Amino acid sequence: MRVDQQLRLDEQLLLFMDQLEALEEKRHKLNSLIEEGWFSIAKARYSMGNKQVSSLQYASEMEPLVYIETSMLEDGTAEFKCERKENKTEELKSNTIEDIGAKETVSGLRRRINTIQKGVKEEDQETDPQGKTKAESGESTPEHRDPLKWFGILVPQNLKQAQSAFKEVITLSAEIASLQSAIIAIRKEMQGQMKEKQQKTEKTQPEMENE
Amino acid sequence: MSGRGKLIAVIGDEDTCTGFLLGGVGELNKNRKPNLLVVEKETSIAEIEETFKSFLARSDIGIILINQFIAEMIRHAIDAHMESIPAVLEIPSKEHPYDASKDSILRRAKGMFSAEDFR
Repeated sequence: MRVDQQLRLDEQLLLFMDQLEALEEKRHKLNSLIEEGWFSIAKARYSMGNKQVSSLQYASEMEPLVYIETSMLEDGTAEFKCERKENKTEELKSNTIEDIGAKETVSGLRRRINTIQKGVKEEDQETDPQGKTKAESGESTPEHRDPLKWFGILVPQNLKQAQSAFKEVITLSAEIASLQSAIIAIRKEMQGQMKEKQQKTEKTQPEMENE
Repeated sequence: MSGRGKLIAVIGDEDTCTGFLLGGVGELNKNRKPNLLVVEKETSIAEIEETFKSFLARSDIGIILINQFIAEMIRHAIDAHMESIPAVLEIPSKEHPYDASKDSILRRAKGMFSAEDFR
């Protein structure tokens, strides 16, 4: 039992060290990406003007484009996963193109037979507003939501570079948060096991002395 | 647990907040409180602490990003936070680079080893 316990402690210690190393690596990457982002923002500010890249440009209404999916594991560790809304808006766009394609073939068929036309026209009228609203929402939501648009229609490349740097930072932040949670959980477990080990050695020591 | 994901809150200086807003974390509307605080020279420590505690109390925030120099001002509040969610991540600022020895999480992890453990 004791040997097993010690082996388990050793394994946990090695895992703990590996996680610390991974955390340090990701931290280093995060810090350099953030610095890159600031540098790009500073360059954009230099070309656009001081007041053109500041909190004055923030929109009065904002909608988040990135969410964090959290889940709690059995050992008390929390896992964080980053999800972007951009992918969903791209799917919407592709759906609308398919709908438009289908509508075109239907409209082609419409010209052939009058009786069928009426039934199809009614359907088209129902689908057209939906299709239009879909297309409008698909086209307008990505543009409307893109924070880059707050700073003007034609923004310098530096601001786009800053945006992509910070997007990567956000993804890394989720990974670092997961690692941090795992490190704290392992630390707690190891502390508990070390205390148990200490208590057992304290019990066996007086027995040995009595012998 | 299915449903809408959680947000990322930011407590930082103007450039940090601008950067993360460009990344798409910002939420601001009439119905809900904003998920960020731009800390300026005039911002009081009480306001920062109140905002941090309000973010902790919200169930829709998954990660709180905070500049380390601001975290130093409310270190007692950050050290008191023991839950896994929301996670608190300290990030560097332009004037203050990241210092691992000040990070709450790493200090907790560092404090586990003592000379007796290696007997």
